[in-house]
Amino acid sequence: MVNSVLKVEDLKIEIKLDEGMLTPVRGVSFEVRENETLGLVGESGCGKSLTCKAILGINDKKCKTTGKINFSKDGSEINLLEMKKDSAEIRSIRGKNISMIFQEPMSSFSPLYTIGNQMSEVILLHMTKDKKKAKELAIEALRRVGIANPEKRYNQYPHEFSGGMLQRVLIAMALVCNPNLLIADEPTTALDVTIQAQIIELMKQLQKEYRMAILYITHDLGTVAQICDRVAVMYLGKIVEIGTVHEIFKDPKHPYTKGLLGSVHKIGGNNERLFSIEGTVPLAMNLKDRCSFYDRCVFRDENKCNRPEPCLKEVGKEHSVACWLYESNEPHEKEGI
Amino acid sequence: MPETILTVKNVSKVFSSKKVHIRAVNNVSFEVKRGETIGIVGESGCGKTTLGRCIVRAIDATSGEILYLAEDGKVYDLQNIDKKTLRGIRKEVQMIFQDPFASLDPRMTVFDIISEPLRANFKLKRNELEEKVKSIASKVGLNPSYLKRYPHAFSGGQRQRIGIARALVLNPRLIVCDEAVSALDVSVQAQVINLLMDLQKEFKLTYIFISHDLSVVEHISDKVGVMYLGKMVEYAPTEELFRNPLHPYTEALLSAVLIADPTVKNTRIPLEGEIPNPANPPSGCFFHTRCRYCIEKCKTEDVSFVEKKPGHFVACHRADELNLRGIV
Repeated sequence: MVNSVLKVEDLKIEIKLDEGMLTPVRGVSFEVRENETLGLVGESGCGKSLTCKAILGINDKKCKTTGKINFSKDGSEINLLEMKKDSAEIRSIRGKNISMIFQEPMSSFSPLYTIGNQMSEVILLHMTKDKKKAKELAIEALRRVGIANPEKRYNQYPHEFSGGMLQRVLIAMALVCNPNLLIADEPTTALDVTIQAQIIELMKQLQKEYRMAILYITHDLGTVAQICDRVAVMYLGKIVEIGTVHEIFKDPKHPYTKGLLGSVHKIGGNNERLFSIEGTVPLAMNLKDRCSFYDRCVFRDENKCNRPEPCLKEVGKEHSVACWLYESNEPHEKEGI
Repeated sequence: MPETILTVKNVSKVFSSKKVHIRAVNNVSFEVKRGETIGIVGESGCGKTTLGRCIVRAIDATSGEILYLAEDGKVYDLQNIDKKTLRGIRKEVQMIFQDPFASLDPRMTVFDIISEPLRANFKLKRNELEEKVKSIASKVGLNPSYLKRYPHAFSGGQRQRIGIARALVLNPRLIVCDEAVSALDVSVQAQVINLLMDLQKEFKLTYIFISHDLSVVEHISDKVGVMYLGKMVEYAPTEELFRNPLHPYTEALLSAVLIADPTVKNTRIPLEGEIPNPANPPSGCFFHTRCRYCIEKCKTEDVSFVEKKPGHFVACHRADELNLRGIV
């Protein structure tokens, strides 16, 4: 059995607004194992970024978070949610055991300090107090991610780097303390195709070297297919399907997953109309007590589906889906997406 | 045979400051037939947006001709045209912008945004205006009862629809779509692409579709132009370009596409280094610094853009001898 690095159980996030209670994350459970990449997929607003921020405890103060986030550190499990916000405890984990790469490399750095200065900050906090040693470590990390001439680059400012290079620096910075878990929030979305492919190869290769777990958030299914081992599909604050990447792409079960896969155009495929999911993601507020995908689902069965929300049920080895249509384990009758 | 609606001939655009001159678009030529969709692809900074902006004359090209066949049957050079005629042409040539969050004025209601082109070009009565805006709004899938709202109340996909409605309200014939779907989620992207294709059929629209997403371009385009460092390096019918690329840069671009199928492993052809500085482009073929097929000739001799096969143009010294890999 492979050790799980992170176990999230029944994570809920609520935000109180003037108009009422917004529940962007409504009970999410998953685990990320050592040396694996779990993809968290969904449209904007499905709660994937909030989930990740909750893991690091960097959500806004307005977010009320409940549930469990168990992280295994040195053999023992600790619940990150029980830690006080910004306490010394969580700060010793954040950036060291768990680190994060953000979407926009350009806005993740301060323009006022050199790359080296910003990288050493992490190292001086977690690894060593020796400034000379910190510089060596930073330069070594830059070399690892394929930055040419790291000694010179160390003293440069973010504006002297291109987007792809800056994303590499960000990865170097995230990996400098050898984290057990890396959270990557759409790290390649803002980049060109060629650079995107480079960054993904780099992450795969670094994972092989360090055996870290990666939680990869994206809405790009091409990236998912190429980097993830397992995939969790999120819709409106819940995981509606989870399974290995091969299962999900070959035999998607949930109508939403089918819809997502159907809306991607494949090169070389025919140029018919793309399948598109009707309507838009509703606001996670005052939801009706039934399957949250009901209104947009093309397979909905009024007798079966107009019931309170379904839970994840296993439909195969390592493959679970939350859909009333699979409740009796009958195969889908209406195929065709 | 449909008529040629747009001919871009040797167009260049140079941005100059005191010290540097950047040739953002460098001697680009191609033709567009009526009802076609032309995809323009390339990495950021390759000049595809600048080219698009030159075509709608949001900026003036430095040299070259942009010949447009107007509805009245006359051909106008958009570069040398008097202001009054240009105003008439502007009704026919419209643009859809990249970022649906930045391209709509937050202080105007959706009705004001969509009706602005009408108000600028025609003197319509209030009820006529309302009727037109409502009909175009429902055409692009916006609920007409939302017209009194401000852009912030809409999601990305809906905002892009507003941008499309604004471009369509004047019944244009040519639309330049600059990364029109790049900022959207896949499912919404599919909706907007379907919408664009439906509208094209209904109104016989011609699109110039600028994007860095090769799979979207393959889906929507009839022909594709590949740009690198301001130059068009390859131009061919879509299927031909994706199956039998003739330029090494196209080959590398195609190999970098991440395929949404875990059983297909990517075999990317690595591109060495970064895009060179456009203020100081390499000698010879601009691509030679990163090309794996580079020979001596490529470093010194300029390369011209020639038709190798019918309809398939390429700028490469070795186009005849190389056997490049496309996407099967």
